[in-house]
Amino acid sequence: MRTAFLTLCGLVLAFLLLPVMIVLCFAVNPEPFLAFPPSGFSLRWFAKFFSSRDFMAAFWLSLWLGVATVFVAGTIGTMAALALARGRFRGRAALVQLFLSPIVLPTILTGFALFQLAMVAGTGRNAWILLAGHLVVATPYVLRTVLAVLANFDRSLEEAARGLGASPAAAFREVTLPLIRPGVIAGALFAFIVSFDQFPVSLFLVSPGQETLPIAMFNYLRFDFDGTIAAASCVSILLAITLVLGIERTIGLQEYAKL
Amino acid sequence: MVREAGTTKGSTAALMLAPAGFIFLFFFAVPFAVMAAMSVLTANPMVAPNAAFTLRHYERIAGDIFYFEVLWQTLRLGLLTTILSLLMGYPLAFLIARATSPTARTLLLMAVIAPMVMGLVVRTYAWLGMFSNRGVINGTLMSMGLITEPIPILGSEGAVVIALCHIYVPFMILTLTGVIARIDPRLEEAARGLGATRVKAFIEVTLPLSAPGILAGSLLVFALAISAYVTPIVIGGYEVLTLPMLIFQQVSATFNLGFAAALGVVLLIVALGLVWSYGRAMQRVTRGVV
Repeated sequence: MRTAFLTLCGLVLAFLLLPVMIVLCFAVNPEPFLAFPPSGFSLRWFAKFFSSRDFMAAFWLSLWLGVATVFVAGTIGTMAALALARGRFRGRAALVQLFLSPIVLPTILTGFALFQLAMVAGTGRNAWILLAGHLVVATPYVLRTVLAVLANFDRSLEEAARGLGASPAAAFREVTLPLIRPGVIAGALFAFIVSFDQFPVSLFLVSPGQETLPIAMFNYLRFDFDGTIAAASCVSILLAITLVLGIERTIGLQEYAKL
Repeated sequence: MVREAGTTKGSTAALMLAPAGFIFLFFFAVPFAVMAAMSVLTANPMVAPNAAFTLRHYERIAGDIFYFEVLWQTLRLGLLTTILSLLMGYPLAFLIARATSPTARTLLLMAVIAPMVMGLVVRTYAWLGMFSNRGVINGTLMSMGLITEPIPILGSEGAVVIALCHIYVPFMILTLTGVIARIDPRLEEAARGLGATRVKAFIEVTLPLSAPGILAGSLLVFALAISAYVTPIVIGGYEVLTLPMLIFQQVSATFNLGFAAALGVVLLIVALGLVWSYGRAMQRVTRGVV
């Protein structure tokens, strides 16, 4: 019974990780199409990726969007979480529901609805609308992680700081902020992943010739199956591994998974 | 002015909510209202002042069996992906939640989270590499001499479901792990002490207690799967047609904003119905447990 259970888990793990290995394998396979087993070793697809103007422009746009999303969504999400966790006003629960709803509504609709707005209002698609779309889908993750931390927050620490003569601002800076920091960092990392890997929202909002990396990769994939996509994937994987290690080092994966 | 630490005045709270509220009002609530309005108008009211109310977009959807087939295909993909993710995710989530060594738990979590942060297009590409005619499966079978012609795998519903499941199963596992970890293992031990077999103790005790996790994970995976776009196109190769594909087609190929909006409203109604029934089901299981 136990052996059967462990075998099952092993199979699921293999299912999860095998595709990662496959991508690595295709990235160094010199064949100009998806062919298995690989016929040799080459770095030509990496060279092609890094020298491709389209891919590089898309990479920098995605990075810019991701970083901007982290800072803006991180700030407004944390502020909203603090107000929602501590404010005593009517409609609190409804506001929390509203702010979290982009997680459960089909993301493709969030993108499509924004596209409709841009068309009807006549502004067209631009980088700012794209950023707004990313903020809408990333902020809920920040809000959720910070709210989770605030739920376990011991307020007597803040009261003690105030009792010892600290101003509200000082108490916030010296006590509250350091204590909620893990939640803010976890939320910000989530926000980065959601933005950097965002497809449905970007699909409707990228302007022609100004694409994000996932969109550029998808467009390439429709006509070409060579290793450039695999090389681009390896770069993304490397970024992902750095992030996962970063999470493990700062807050621990178990905290991250709990949130 | 002295006030109790930890509570926030209404005005401060409003000020802190303002930026997020602004973003959500103008870039979330208003766009959905615009979408709903466009679905019942003959033209864009900003450029055509004579735009009038119409139900023709909905009549077109209701009058053509094709749109029902696409909706059914979308829901089927969501349902199959959710069931498969649950069947595959539960054992691993259980193993992670009950792992006694922290190192083992961290390594297992890393194995789950790594594919999740790898990117949607990357993972779809990986499955293209598995399923294509000269890909891993066909390549291996051919080099072993088991087959001479590649088996066509791409373009089938099963292939799309497997790829979607790989993409979304981490969400299921993480949700389940959190819930299972909070269940006291002593409850299961007690059941076994009273003579229940290991399987019976699991079915009677742990499984019902993890129902909230099963529901939450299923809602998440279903919502993600019905809005999938990349995977059905790349793996299904336009053989498997879904609602999101149809919506984008209306926008990019025929630029029929009103009809696309009506399709969007249909998908929105499905999603809202889902969230509503989730709330009902959650109420029932938590009432049954607590």
